[in-house]
Amino acid sequence: MTDNTDTAADAQTDGGNAPVPPDDETPTWRERKERRVGLSRLTYEYFERARREDQDLRQESDYVERDVLAFPTWPHEVIRNLSLTAFFVGMIFFLSATLPPHIAAPANPSQTPAIILPDWYLYWSFGLLKLGPLNPELAILGGEKLMADRAYGVIANLVVVGAIAVVPFLNKGSARRPVEEPFWASIGVAGVVFSITIAALSMKNLLPIDPHLLFDLTFLLPIVVGGLSYAVLKTMREGYMFDLNRRYYRLRPPK
Amino acid sequence: MSLERADDHDHDAWLEEKDLTPVEHTFLTVLIWMDRRLRLVDYLELLESMYYRINFQLPKSHTEQYNLDNKFWYWYPLYALGSFSTLAYIVAAVSGALLGFYYAPSAATGACASAMGGSVDGASVAYCSITSIMTDLNFGYMLRSIHRWAAQVMTAAVFLHMLRVYFTGAYKEPRELNWLIGIVLISLTMMFGYTGYLLPWDQLSYWASQIGVEMALSIPLAGEWVAQLVFGGFAPGAATLRRMYILHVFLLPFVVTTLIAVHIGIVWMQGIAEPH
Repeated sequence: MTDNTDTAADAQTDGGNAPVPPDDETPTWRERKERRVGLSRLTYEYFERARREDQDLRQESDYVERDVLAFPTWPHEVIRNLSLTAFFVGMIFFLSATLPPHIAAPANPSQTPAIILPDWYLYWSFGLLKLGPLNPELAILGGEKLMADRAYGVIANLVVVGAIAVVPFLNKGSARRPVEEPFWASIGVAGVVFSITIAALSMKNLLPIDPHLLFDLTFLLPIVVGGLSYAVLKTMREGYMFDLNRRYYRLRPPK
Repeated sequence: MSLERADDHDHDAWLEEKDLTPVEHTFLTVLIWMDRRLRLVDYLELLESMYYRINFQLPKSHTEQYNLDNKFWYWYPLYALGSFSTLAYIVAAVSGALLGFYYAPSAATGACASAMGGSVDGASVAYCSITSIMTDLNFGYMLRSIHRWAAQVMTAAVFLHMLRVYFTGAYKEPRELNWLIGIVLISLTMMFGYTGYLLPWDQLSYWASQIGVEMALSIPLAGEWVAQLVFGGFAPGAATLRRMYILHVFLLPFVVTTLIAVHIGIVWMQGIAEPH
C-alpha cells in the first residue's frame, strides 16, 4: 500500500463524512418517529405492535416456523417459466403460420349477415344477453317486467362477474385440493359447465336442438354435473382426508 | 498548499506504478473514465450484493420440504399458464406495434383491389389497410396472424389460468386482492379482444359494434351517456372505429400493462400458492 491515503487531516471543506454531533435540541430518530401525530403515528404504533407480535409468536414453545410460506416465485417459478418461453412463443408462431386469419366482407350497414356471433371468448356474455325468458313478469306491476329484456341481459353479465369476485370472501381456510372441499369444487365444475351451455345458448339458431330444450338444458346440465362431481368428491374425501389430516397436524400441531 | 484539492485516490499514479500491458492499461483507463461519470463500480457492487443475498441460501420449496413432488409435478403445466398469458401479451404488443405502422383507423371509403381483380365494394380505408397488409406487405399476413393468434392464445390462457387458480384454492385468504385484480384483467383482456376485432371494419366488426352499442344503450339511466362516450354515437360509424382504435392502442395497453405488473408483483411478494 503505497497509496497516500492518510491525508484526512488535509482541508476537507465539505465536512467530510463525519456526522454532525447532535446537541440537546436535536431529537433522535426514535423520538422523531414517536412524536408524530395522526396517520404516521398510527403506522408507527402498528409496526411496533406487529414486531412485538412476531417476537411473542416465535418465543412460544410450540410455534413451528416455516421458512417458506408458498412456492417461491423467484427463482424457482420464474426459471421454470422462462425455460418454457421459447416453447410457448414457438407454439404461437406455429399456429399463426399454419392458420392465417380470415377477413370477412367489408362492413355493410344495409345487409345483416345470417350469423352474428362475437369471438369465441365472448359467447358466454352473448348467451347471457338471451336470458329474456327468465326476466320475471311481476304481478305488482300488472304483468309488466321490471326492466327491459336487454337490460336484464346486461345486468346478468355483471351478476356473473360479481359472483366470481366474491368467492374468496365466502370461502376461507387453508384447504387447497378440490377433494378437501367438495362443495366449492362442484360449484366450480357447475360454473365451467354453465359457461359452456350458455355459450351453446348464444348460438341457439345454429344448433339442431329445440330452443326450449336447449334453454332448459343450459340451467339443468350445470346443476346435474355439479351434483355428480359433488357426490364423487365427497366419496373420494373419505379416503383422502385421513392422509391430509395426518400431514396437516404434523406440520401445525394443535395448541 | 495549493488550491487544488488533494486526490484521495490518484488512479493515474496507481496506474504508473502497476507496469501494465497496453491492453490492461487501456481497459483500466476506460473503466476509470466510465466509473467517474457513471459510478459503474457502485452499481456493480449493488448487483453483487443482490446476487449473494439471493443465492446465500435457496429456501427449500414447499414441495421439497413436505415431499409433495409425486403429487405435484404433473400439475406443473397448469402453473405456467399465468406466465404463458404474459408471454402472449408481449408477443401481441410487439406484433401490434408493427401492425400499427400499416393500419389506418378510418371508416371513409377506401379503394382496394380484390383478389379476383376489380375493387371491393363498400370497403373502408381501414378494411383496405388490412387487405394490403395481408396481400401486399412482405410477411404482412404472418404479422397479422401472429397478432391474432397471440391474442387468442392469451385469452385462452387467461381463462385456464383462472380455472387453475379456482380449483387449487389459490385465491384464498391472503390473495383475495390478486383474485380481484385478476377479474379486472380478464375483463380487460376480453375488451382488448373486442376492440381488436372491431378494427378491420368488416361485417363481423360492424355487427359486433352494433351489439356493443345496443348493450351500452340498454344500461339503465346512464345508457345513452355510455354509448356516446364509448362508441361515439347511437349507431356504429366512423367515430366508433376511431374510439375503438384509441381504446385498443392507447388506453387499454397502459391500464393492462400496469395491472399485469401489479398482479405479478403481488405474486412475487406472496409466493405461489400450492395445494398441500
